[in-house]
Amino acid sequence: MSRLPNQWSNKAGRRQFLQGSAAAGAGFLAASLPGRVLGQDKVTVVNSIRSLSNPYHASWNQGGEAFANWAGADYATLVTEGNSEKGIADIKAMIAKTGGNMVLNVDPNESPDARPIVEACAEAGVYVTTQWNKPADLHPWDFDPHYVSHISFDGKPNGKAMAEALFAAMGGSGGIVALGGILSNVPAIERKAGLDAALAENPNIELLDFQVANWDPNKAYDITSAWVTRFGDQIKGVWAANDGMGISALEVLRAEGMAGNVPVTGIDGIQLAVEAVMAGEFAGTVAWDPFWQGGMGLSIPYHAKTGEFDPAAEPQDHREFYGSGIVITADNAEEFYETNIKSSPELDFADIWGRVSGQIQYE
Amino acid sequence: MAVTRDAAAASQTLGTNAAERWRQIRGRLGPWAPVLVLIALCIIVGLINPSFLSVRNMARIANSAAIPLILGLGVTFVIIMGSIDLSMEGVVAFGAVVLSLLVLNGANTYDLGVLAAFIVLMSGAAIGFLNGIIHVGFRIPSFMATLGMWFVGVGVANAILGGVTVRVMDQGIRALALERFLGMPFAVWLALAALLVAYVIQNHTRLGRYMYAIGGGEDLASLSGINVKRCRIAIFTIAGAFYGLGGIIAAAQQGAGFALIGQGRLFTTITAVIVGGTALMGGKGGVLQTLVGVLIVMVLSNGMVLMGISPYVQQIVQGVMIIVAVALSVDRTRLGVVK
Repeated sequence: MSRLPNQWSNKAGRRQFLQGSAAAGAGFLAASLPGRVLGQDKVTVVNSIRSLSNPYHASWNQGGEAFANWAGADYATLVTEGNSEKGIADIKAMIAKTGGNMVLNVDPNESPDARPIVEACAEAGVYVTTQWNKPADLHPWDFDPHYVSHISFDGKPNGKAMAEALFAAMGGSGGIVALGGILSNVPAIERKAGLDAALAENPNIELLDFQVANWDPNKAYDITSAWVTRFGDQIKGVWAANDGMGISALEVLRAEGMAGNVPVTGIDGIQLAVEAVMAGEFAGTVAWDPFWQGGMGLSIPYHAKTGEFDPAAEPQDHREFYGSGIVITADNAEEFYETNIKSSPELDFADIWGRVSGQIQYE
Repeated sequence: MAVTRDAAAASQTLGTNAAERWRQIRGRLGPWAPVLVLIALCIIVGLINPSFLSVRNMARIANSAAIPLILGLGVTFVIIMGSIDLSMEGVVAFGAVVLSLLVLNGANTYDLGVLAAFIVLMSGAAIGFLNGIIHVGFRIPSFMATLGMWFVGVGVANAILGGVTVRVMDQGIRALALERFLGMPFAVWLALAALLVAYVIQNHTRLGRYMYAIGGGEDLASLSGINVKRCRIAIFTIAGAFYGLGGIIAAAQQGAGFALIGQGRLFTTITAVIVGGTALMGGKGGVLQTLVGVLIVMVLSNGMVLMGISPYVQQIVQGVMIIVAVALSVDRTRLGVVK
């Protein structure tokens, strides 16, 4: 039960394991190079993420680089490639190499990983922020002051916002089909809950079918093809739990001559989706702004390390909070494209609490 | 007493006869089992949802089947030869990414058109050639050699793109998925052409005959004067070219190139090849069987959506189908050891 933001690469466990072990050697090599050369007096800011093979984490990494430039710190990226052991081992190796003179922003591969990572950091005096995945009973205030914050994003309001944007584009009535993520995946469950909530409020919208495409664009393609046969013109809209699946659905609609007439929504805010919003083929998407996650996730523990604030004195809704997704529709797509995709976003890295939108709720 | 013993002996003979007859029936029916499964599936799905049988839906199934078929052709050859090739996802990813960057696209100014597709085909063949060289030259089992190449392919695609998705804007390439001829997308015709080529290689060339000979027994093949090493490299090269073609069509269908475009295709393809009746032990099977296998897998996934089967159940059905299909098609009575 992991809370994975990366919808592109959590399919085959065996494959990930193999990829992980293949990449482990390279990762170790990369992690062991720069520190010795550059000396220990400069702070190293470290992002630990799943991989660099998807737009989401690539943008995350750029945010990290931008922050390192802003702060004048050394920058390092660690990738887990979906392998928890590698993720934890690489972080410990990095702590040893920097002698603890670092801050860490980590997207743990799986929720249970967060505890050993945080414990290792607290022991070495490393300030750390976690994102997306951590056990519900692990809290930043259990490890004052080093475990500074945990950031997540609530899938439900965003799944709902996309459903509402879709219904609006459809004119408020008709049938929709919906593509979900992996059944046991927390973001998939939350986003679906948002869709269900919007459906409950809009009795004129009928959910024709819900299918699970496992975040996989190829699977989404085949499912959408079958839907066109089963429902044909009854389909007035397509809701997808992420952009990758939504873009695939759009390509099926295009091959059937339905693109533009049947609106699609996604979530994640990847470039192709934003372009599709501008072209009037997507009714909307939500950008998590991974650039912000990669940069601000470092800025928060960095400012704690430099003594700008004392984590222990911060309220709980600064320690464990939902960030803000940016809802993109036809109204703001152009602007978002110009400022976030064509050019690197300008972030005020000193504004560390600017996107707090409430304390995380655990059921 | 004597009567009882006779009766026992008689019933034993009867049992042997029945088993023998069943074996004969199965021996005759075995090769056709996948076809029967396919027909049965079509009838069941068609009864529950008649629109399954519509021409438009057949075109959609054919469109979905195009890539697994092309990939399946390549890997069928390798499996007949008694080896295995796991590199297809890597080649598809690499091919799709290279194609998306060389045709008119959203990331750079290249616009090579058909030449780009040719380059992708050739690089697919080159990766296959490399597979063969590593496997034969360094005497590394094909499983490991091609597994490595899978990750190299995906890794290089990653390194080139850094996680970005590149839009394919070349209308000629997009036409493979978007334009139709006689109701079928061009990708389907391309897949059928590939099937024809594969069929000719399999049945009308020396390489095709050698491939079966090597799969049936490499020692014998070698003793009878076949240059086994050269054949192996040639087959891997051909397989690589098929994967490259798969990459081209994948990019055309998705309208984009990205590093994970091959994801999940290995499982679908190998499933289809085995379900079609090509034996993993080698020496048995063929590309027409693979066509049937691909259609079974595609009709099933299309049909389950059409029949409104809950996604929670679909995976179970797929797993059961694989076991049943293999159980029907493989004559296990002669297998000494099952491992």
